[in-house]
Amino acid sequence: MKIAVGGKGGSGKTTVAGTLARVLAERGQQVVALDDDSNPNLAVTLGLPHGQAASLPAIPRDWLEEKPDGEGGTRLELKVPAEDFIDRFGQPAGHNLTLLVMGQPSHGGSG
Amino acid sequence: MRGVLRGLVSTTSRMTVVDLEAGLEHLSRGTARHVDTLLLIAEPYFKSLEAAQRSFALAKDLGIGRIYMVANKIRSPRDEDTVREFAGRHTVGIAGVIPYDPAVVEADERGTAVMDQRPEATSVAAIRRLADQLLTTAA
Repeated sequence: MKIAVGGKGGSGKTTVAGTLARVLAERGQQVVALDDDSNPNLAVTLGLPHGQAASLPAIPRDWLEEKPDGEGGTRLELKVPAEDFIDRFGQPAGHNLTLLVMGQPSHGGSG
Repeated sequence: MRGVLRGLVSTTSRMTVVDLEAGLEHLSRGTARHVDTLLLIAEPYFKSLEAAQRSFALAKDLGIGRIYMVANKIRSPRDEDTVREFAGRHTVGIAGVIPYDPAVVEADERGTAVMDQRPEATSVAAIRRLADQLLTTAA
């Protein structure tokens, strides 16, 4: 199951997303929690100590490839299997649970 | 990073929970396009419900399979009625009803997870029911 949680700022979406991820992991699911908010706070609701959840570090250039985005520009896409990416950049957040913070767009070699 | 996120969500064998950017714009830009279940968190007042309903319509156009509203910060049966009445009128399904919970406020203030702070909290119990509901109805 691939779940996304949305809502207005202040609606409590991050608390729901984080707690839901924790509960699903507790139920025996292998879960990856992805923080796509530009003000990333998911780590806290998952129970990671403040400041421990860093944004993605530089991603090796050869892990990404530029592809046309269909609107005349290009976008970066993943060239390696998702599991490799999650193993390398995910932060353990308890049994069965891994956090990936997507917020800050930093990628190696691009500037 | 949008393409990367999309690739991760659509190809990982793990269950994913994406905390989306607040607001509607991300939906049309396609971040949420590769999920099969979208939860729209709404508070029991008109503006919040309206926003959720607009997201619902947009997400439907994108072809996301299961889209539900989740009522949050519900303080009274009247609050719940407000959400149910609105959802019924717009034929939006409700996957969960989470009570207003001081334990969440407390956890926020301390910068901890409500699940660690108060595992027995009413909001946590409601999210457990939401998880079970999603697991049993998953395709």
